[in-house]
Amino acid sequence: MANLLWLQGGACSGNTMSFLNAEEPSACDLVTDFGINVLWHPSLGMELGENLQKMMKALVSGEIPLDIFVFEGSVVNAPGGTGEWNRFAGRPMKDWVADLAKVSNFVVAIGDCATWGGIPATAPNPSDSVGLQFLKRAHGGALGAGYRSKAGLPVINVPGCPAHPDWITQIVVAVATGRAGDLSLDEFQRPKTFFTSFTQTGCTRNMHFAYKVSATEFGQRKGCLFYDLGCRGPMTHSPCNRILWNRQSSKTRAGMPCMGCTEPEFPFFDLAPGTVFKTQTVMGVPKDMPTGVDKTGYIKLTAAAKAASPAWAEEEIFVV
Amino acid sequence: MSAAVQTLDISPVGRVEGDLDVRVDIQDGVVVNAWTSAELFRGFEIILRDKDPQAGLVVTPRACGICGASHLTCAAWALDTAWKTTVPRNAILARNLGQIVESIQSLPRHHYGLFMIDYTNKNYSNSAYYEEAVKRWSPFTGTNYEIGVTISGRPVEIYALLGGQWPHSSYMVPGGVMCAPTLTDVTRAWSILEHFRRNWMEPIWLGCTLERYEEIRSYDDLMAWLDERPEHANSDLGLFWRMSLDIGLDKYGRGHDRYVSWGYLPHEDRYNKPTIESRNASLIMKSGVYNGTTDTHKLMDQSFTREDVGRAWYDEPGHLHPFERTTKAIQKNEVDHEGRYSWSVAVTHDQDGRLEAGPLSRQLIAGGRHGESWQHYDPLVLDIYKKLGGASVMLRHFARMHEGVKLYREAERILREFRLKDSWYEKPTEKDGRGWGRPRRFAGPCATGSRCRTARSRTIRSSRRRPGMSARARTMVPAARSRRP
Repeated sequence: MANLLWLQGGACSGNTMSFLNAEEPSACDLVTDFGINVLWHPSLGMELGENLQKMMKALVSGEIPLDIFVFEGSVVNAPGGTGEWNRFAGRPMKDWVADLAKVSNFVVAIGDCATWGGIPATAPNPSDSVGLQFLKRAHGGALGAGYRSKAGLPVINVPGCPAHPDWITQIVVAVATGRAGDLSLDEFQRPKTFFTSFTQTGCTRNMHFAYKVSATEFGQRKGCLFYDLGCRGPMTHSPCNRILWNRQSSKTRAGMPCMGCTEPEFPFFDLAPGTVFKTQTVMGVPKDMPTGVDKTGYIKLTAAAKAASPAWAEEEIFVV
Repeated sequence: MSAAVQTLDISPVGRVEGDLDVRVDIQDGVVVNAWTSAELFRGFEIILRDKDPQAGLVVTPRACGICGASHLTCAAWALDTAWKTTVPRNAILARNLGQIVESIQSLPRHHYGLFMIDYTNKNYSNSAYYEEAVKRWSPFTGTNYEIGVTISGRPVEIYALLGGQWPHSSYMVPGGVMCAPTLTDVTRAWSILEHFRRNWMEPIWLGCTLERYEEIRSYDDLMAWLDERPEHANSDLGLFWRMSLDIGLDKYGRGHDRYVSWGYLPHEDRYNKPTIESRNASLIMKSGVYNGTTDTHKLMDQSFTREDVGRAWYDEPGHLHPFERTTKAIQKNEVDHEGRYSWSVAVTHDQDGRLEAGPLSRQLIAGGRHGESWQHYDPLVLDIYKKLGGASVMLRHFARMHEGVKLYREAERILREFRLKDSWYEKPTEKDGRGWGRPRRFAGPCATGSRCRTARSRTIRSSRRRPGMSARARTMVPAARSRRP
């Protein structure tokens, strides 16, 4: 039996909603099949007010052991480092986070806000939000770069806006069932099993990428979204096209450019004018190259791809 | 001689989107005053300032992960209005379908995950229905809880077919939608709807076919339906209704009898060139203000909207139209129940004052004969409202769930209406302008003002009573978002 507490800071509940879409295992399976005891959850918990405050205090004192502390949402520091702009159960949420992190066996950050600061931390970051152990790419965050949970691990970061339900439930089950040793984390503390391949891996528009055939406008049944519509699929680490969303699809399959939401910089370019759903280019060459590709190589590849491009690539491929 | 006033501070109140604290004054076992304090500020309006116009498509859905499609719809329509875009017929249908499936998803999720679990509270153990409630509705382990929460993920699979994922896609854009569904997408979507109907709506929620349920047009019809077969009485709807009466939830949560809906679901042939002025006459689900005291309906006009920031932590004056808001957060947000005590603002109507919004309001307005002759009309909830003498916790929840069958039928219609070989997007010209949309929340309550407000678009939101709370203290004033009277 592993005790799990889920709290939300500067959050939208999007990761909770995503979590409830999980099927293998489902949210209920965590309890009924994997012996996870959900002590409390902001949307699903029974207790309120004083009863919950009592339980939180018992967790902080160690009277109730806390195996897994799941945090969704950013850690709010405004105003002036006090955290008073996000109070919970009678005190700043950031103080609860600090106290609970000390007694937790594992701390799991779910979603971009909890991992990197996410949307709330977008310039000018009015709420002084940070992630649990990062702010964007900078190591540190609310708990400090040196933080380790009682089991000896840093915060396990499951980014995404939101995180995919399978990423959430599979990581929670792994730590609850004693498989934390099998987890390997990348430099941003993301589980490698999910975040080593690219969003582009498995994209149905890959052949269009290969032949440099572009979707020039939305609503087209052909073409790659990278060249004109700002897709970040080739340089974003995620399994969105391997582990499909809602069992059906992915943004790029449906025709929406990947916005790179599993990377610390999301939303990219701080959403400055002219950057949303438009590829940033210099002299016609994308500013951000597919990971590992340099500009010279890219230009050569483009020339070869265009020369080799078959006629069918310009026609609708996802035909009615 | 009445008893002294007892003050109760509850921090936090869970199962609300956002961190919410409540203070209530109780006298003779009755709540005589209430303050709700939304305790989170992220400043989305501030983040959006000076950003790309289309940043609203990325940021505003993320104000709320529960009702992101509503925010996205709103952001897209606001840009269409500002840029004077033509929106293809297919795109209007595809946007509506996204909003509908998000709503249908939220019904079982709210019903089991957020609402019915309170019926298993031991305070109700004297009820004859208690044992069955515990069996069905206990969190995570209840038989119908598990079925309901698990199946709630299915409708948004249709959202993923359109936008790649739910929550948080930005597939609705000015000029249309990003997707161009194929025949296989449509067939798959249809099959998902059927699965949801055959595995939850009919056997578990209703205990009858949708067709039989649709015959219910009045309170008397509903009572006759309940007695007609044991399957009806023992369905989750039947048991919800009977247990609610038994534990008295038909008597709590009166409200103040004035309601608003902005209307929703733009008609695919009537709102292709959206303007602020033409909106009311272009919607399938009409807008309106309903006054329960005088039993009168009228249309809602956005120009009457005001945000009262006087009790909220913003350094802004008095009653403002949303277009005039500047979102100046006060640095030191001390809770002062005599002064400012929340990040939420009180949204009011310039002529009619405070109005309740939400599912009950939408259904009461659906019962009005105002609006266009072709717009949706449904007399059921208004009839029950009158027969039972007003609003209650029970009727609010019923109204929410009642919408499900109608939205289901509209989703079916949309799948038939798509013209797959026609366009889904018409590239707009970007320009300066002012637009207006409306994030309609289908889902649960929302505590934090900054979460459900999008730039240049606001909604009047309703309160929701928590049965576990209101059973202990009769609520006389709307709990959420109340101002001191």
